Amino acid sequence: MLVIINALKSISRSMGRNILIGIIVLAIAAASCVALAIRNAAKEAEAAGIDQINITGAITVDRQKMMEGIQTNGRPDMDAMRKLMAEYPDLSLDELLVYAESSSVKDFYYSSSISLDAGDSLEAYSTESSADSSEDSGGFPGPGSFDNRQGGGVVIQGGTIGMMAMGDFTLTGYSAEQAMTKFVSGTATIVDGELFSFDSEELTCLISSELAAFNGLSVGDTITLANPNDAEETYEFTIVGIYTDSSSSQSSDQPRFSTAMDPANLICLSYQALEAITQNSASVATAGTDYMGNETSTAVRGQLASTFVFTNLEAYESFAIELAASGLGEYYTVTSADLNNYQSSLLPLQNLSQFATTLLVIVLAIGAVILVVINVFNIRERKYEVGVLTAIGIKKPKVALQFVAELACVTIVFIILGAGLGAALSVPVANELLTSQIEQVQAQADAQNTNFGRTTGGGPMGGGPVTTIGGPGGTMMSVFGDTAEVSYLDQINATINLPIIGQLILIGIILTIISSLAAVIFVLRYEPLKILANRT
Amino acid sequence: MSILKLENVSYAYDGRNRVLKDLNYQFEKGKTYAIVGRSGAGKTTLLSLLSGLTSPTGGKILFDGRDVQRIDRYQYRSRYVGVVFQQFNLLPHLNAVENVELSMRASGKKIPEKRRRATDLLDKVDLDEGLAKRRVLKLSGGEQQRVAIARALSFDPDILLADEPTGNLDLTTQEEVMDIFSRLAHEENKCVIVVSHSPEVAASVDEVYELASLRQSKKRRKG
Repeated sequence: MLVIINALKSISRSMGRNILIGIIVLAIAAASCVALAIRNAAKEAEAAGIDQINITGAITVDRQKMMEGIQTNGRPDMDAMRKLMAEYPDLSLDELLVYAESSSVKDFYYSSSISLDAGDSLEAYSTESSADSSEDSGGFPGPGSFDNRQGGGVVIQGGTIGMMAMGDFTLTGYSAEQAMTKFVSGTATIVDGELFSFDSEELTCLISSELAAFNGLSVGDTITLANPNDAEETYEFTIVGIYTDSSSSQSSDQPRFSTAMDPANLICLSYQALEAITQNSASVATAGTDYMGNETSTAVRGQLASTFVFTNLEAYESFAIELAASGLGEYYTVTSADLNNYQSSLLPLQNLSQFATTLLVIVLAIGAVILVVINVFNIRERKYEVGVLTAIGIKKPKVALQFVAELACVTIVFIILGAGLGAALSVPVANELLTSQIEQVQAQADAQNTNFGRTTGGGPMGGGPVTTIGGPGGTMMSVFGDTAEVSYLDQINATINLPIIGQLILIGIILTIISSLAAVIFVLRYEPLKILANRT
Repeated sequence: MSILKLENVSYAYDGRNRVLKDLNYQFEKGKTYAIVGRSGAGKTTLLSLLSGLTSPTGGKILFDGRDVQRIDRYQYRSRYVGVVFQQFNLLPHLNAVENVELSMRASGKKIPEKRRRATDLLDKVDLDEGLAKRRVLKLSGGEQQRVAIARALSFDPDILLADEPTGNLDLTTQEEVMDIFSRLAHEENKCVIVVSHSPEVAASVDEVYELASLRQSKKRRKG
């Protein structure tokens, strides 16, 4: 009681000194409050965002890891690499379906793509002078397909098709609506007719509005396509719908190796229908050998792309553990472009959070030093008071406690005021800082894109690493495939809540202890008689 | 039975400069004492020893039969000995009443109506209510000395030590103060020890100890 009464009296009678300490504490509290609010909001936004996104992923071969594992003299041994690749074949649909049974997997969908030539009455859409690009060398096309490619989550399967001729069109068969990601996201829209049935083997399809206009086609018309390896093997499709694809016009300036790579020449159908084509093609195919002696076939083969959908991050991670434990092989891995994109989108926020943490540490360190210095001077000034109090019989620890209590009272009051000020400032300051961080990250990305001769506007991360296997066509996909735009989180709710207030109180206590430690040491060292005698 | 007893008490600053040597004094309740001597005789040093602010370098001081060095000297100062310092040693940021109240609180004794008791004590030493509410720095030397006396009496100590308590007072007030001290000793059974070089003070106490300069001292019984 004595300590409290003395402390309060001392505070009220030495307002100037306490206001000076208070202003410093106020500044520390306000800055700490803003920094803590930013950190907290960043953490919450990250957690909330990860809960909201639907994580999709795919089982891929980690070629990077593979190359690292077979390096000799600092360079990958390509023979060993080829051998190793043969040991890690693409998983078949049946194998993938087994993994899709996992309790971690919420949904599983897939698509398969083939390339066919135009029949007699049809011409592939092209903005170039010659539309005929058949017999081009190279692998399988398909940059514009509406498949479930998700950057890092892509598996292009189909075995060795290296020398297979490329057709004019890409045909992609989808297992479900979810697999048609551009339609799901709204990039592509059916403008005429309707969607084909996923359960039907009937050769019904959707074609692009560009292709329809180019050939004067409409819903209900039929088109004929042929096997690029065997012109006699033809398939007749009924157009059930026409779609527009806003991304196809954006990517029209990109170089094409084939008209089949033009999104306008993508024909969508059900997986069942596509499977019927490949099965029929296999049954009528003729076998042969190429100039290297490898076996060849005229059959069209589909490249499979599959996507696993996970409820949340936890399910995704547990699926990765399950996969590793299944004994599939150390280079098979689960990757998710959603996750990569999401993590990229958090970059400004993480920078901001890091900045807030640094600010917090600096503010606290400088604040603590200033408070210690002020308190040391304060105690030296009040040496006489210490002498009198101890001379009339108040024990030194009590006197020290009184000084601590004074500082604690001032600190608490100004921490509350600082928290109020910080609460008012945290939201606008946090968003302002976040905006500048986004601008900085975007400027860096734009500069990088410009340096590489790319048009700006895409996300800096380009949708994350795309791992494709199955031939050079797959690689082209990753090179010229549409870059995923990273949508940065540009608003955070940096408000003050109970945990932050708790942290501020903790900061107040720590600051009080550190800064009053000097006071305590000084008080305990003083001898009343010496102080009073010196004064005399 | 003496409440305070000095047994061969000596004191030397820095272990060499001896100020007091082999003092054997006894102080009883119900009496007033004066310690007199020339400047540098060690009067204030002796008061510091008696108040427990410092320890003798030789001999011992017994309070109620117990060695002061072996008891809690903070408690000794706050409960049993009231000291009127020569420089008053009041807290400048407090007013007169608050300075007196502070000592009451510091004693840890259950003293009812502290504010009223403080005002009464200040009134007793001739400080009216207006002055009692002033910060002590705004009081004159004499007024501050009276506040110091009121503070020393505030927690009803067994022993009252006063270092030149009348030094800043006029003759009339000096007499009043000494009357208060006499009453405390004779009516309230306190032991009052006054350090002074004033002949008037020496004349008004029951017993006088005269400190000889440096090493000689003798007791002068009045009568």
